[in-house]
Amino acid sequence: MTVHSLYIFDRHCNCVYYQDWHRTKPPKPAVEGGILPAVSRAVTPRAASSDGNTTSTFTSPRNTLNLSSGIVVAVNEEPQARNAIEPPAQPPSSTGLPFDEETKLVYGVILSLRNMVKKLTKRDEQFTNYRTSTYKMHLYETISGYKFVMLTDPRADSVRFILRQLYSGPFMDYVVRNPIVDMDSREHGIDNEYFRASVDRIIRGLSIFQ
Amino acid sequence: MAIFGLWVINKAGGLVYQRNFSDGLAQLSMNEYLVMAGTLHGIHAITSRLSPTGSSSGAQVIEAETFKMTILLTATGTKFVLLTSLSDPSAESLLQKVYEIYADATMKNPFHTPEMPIRSEKFDVRIGNLLGASSSGAV
Repeated sequence: MTVHSLYIFDRHCNCVYYQDWHRTKPPKPAVEGGILPAVSRAVTPRAASSDGNTTSTFTSPRNTLNLSSGIVVAVNEEPQARNAIEPPAQPPSSTGLPFDEETKLVYGVILSLRNMVKKLTKRDEQFTNYRTSTYKMHLYETISGYKFVMLTDPRADSVRFILRQLYSGPFMDYVVRNPIVDMDSREHGIDNEYFRASVDRIIRGLSIFQ
Repeated sequence: MAIFGLWVINKAGGLVYQRNFSDGLAQLSMNEYLVMAGTLHGIHAITSRLSPTGSSSGAQVIEAETFKMTILLTATGTKFVLLTSLSDPSAESLLQKVYEIYADATMKNPFHTPEMPIRSEKFDVRIGNLLGASSSGAV
């Protein structure tokens, strides 16, 4: 059993945070302007490196893994040095969608299912999770409209309490109470070093994480 | 354990059969059910593309706080959706039986047009016997 990835969406439908753990099909980096800055270093559009060295630290899938597991600088302002040079070819294992497309699909699915559940019950009932043959997607929505979405192994039990724990723990401590993080800005994600490290610690401590 | 309803969705996303068995979920108009079936058809296609590891099937079970939808996708693209209470352990086997009844009472019926709404009394009766009997509420 394992945990694949975590997405956080704000109430403006933007993905503000992303982190992955065991993911054999890493997402392609987003196209420029497709996602907000400071969501995740692993999927932001690659800036052309100034020394022309295309195999920079971000191009190796190995390093991407390391970077997405906690060793990341604080709220990252993407360098503006982008030019016409296309990002180098994707690592061969990356066959998925570009990250920005993927977040839109994830958000679309959870929103549609949420509305469908509300309509079917005529109450304020929440959609909690769905399962396919290879993964299970869980949703926890906060009162303030933040949506915590986690992809796990299909055999995992509900992880809503863990998502709630992420909200009341690291999210409160390092995002809500962090004066540097501009919440609800529609311009920035909420990625910062402490939040990422703290989320990582909680997820790695879970019994379903192996 | 209760069975709330059964939907049959054709391969184009159209609702060809819908029936409620016990109260618990809202009673919607036929139009709303049609829209919902179309939405589910789309979601089902998207969920198979979001897999973090290799290729995946579409959503098999969708859970809310008090009920779940179990989805059986057949090889021909027809989807059977059973709405049950969360604790119901028999949803998948029931769907298999529904599929059998569908094959017997609908597909072998020379007066049935494929992909069109199911208007077969025999299908109705047999589904009623299967799901009406195993759900706690009467049909």
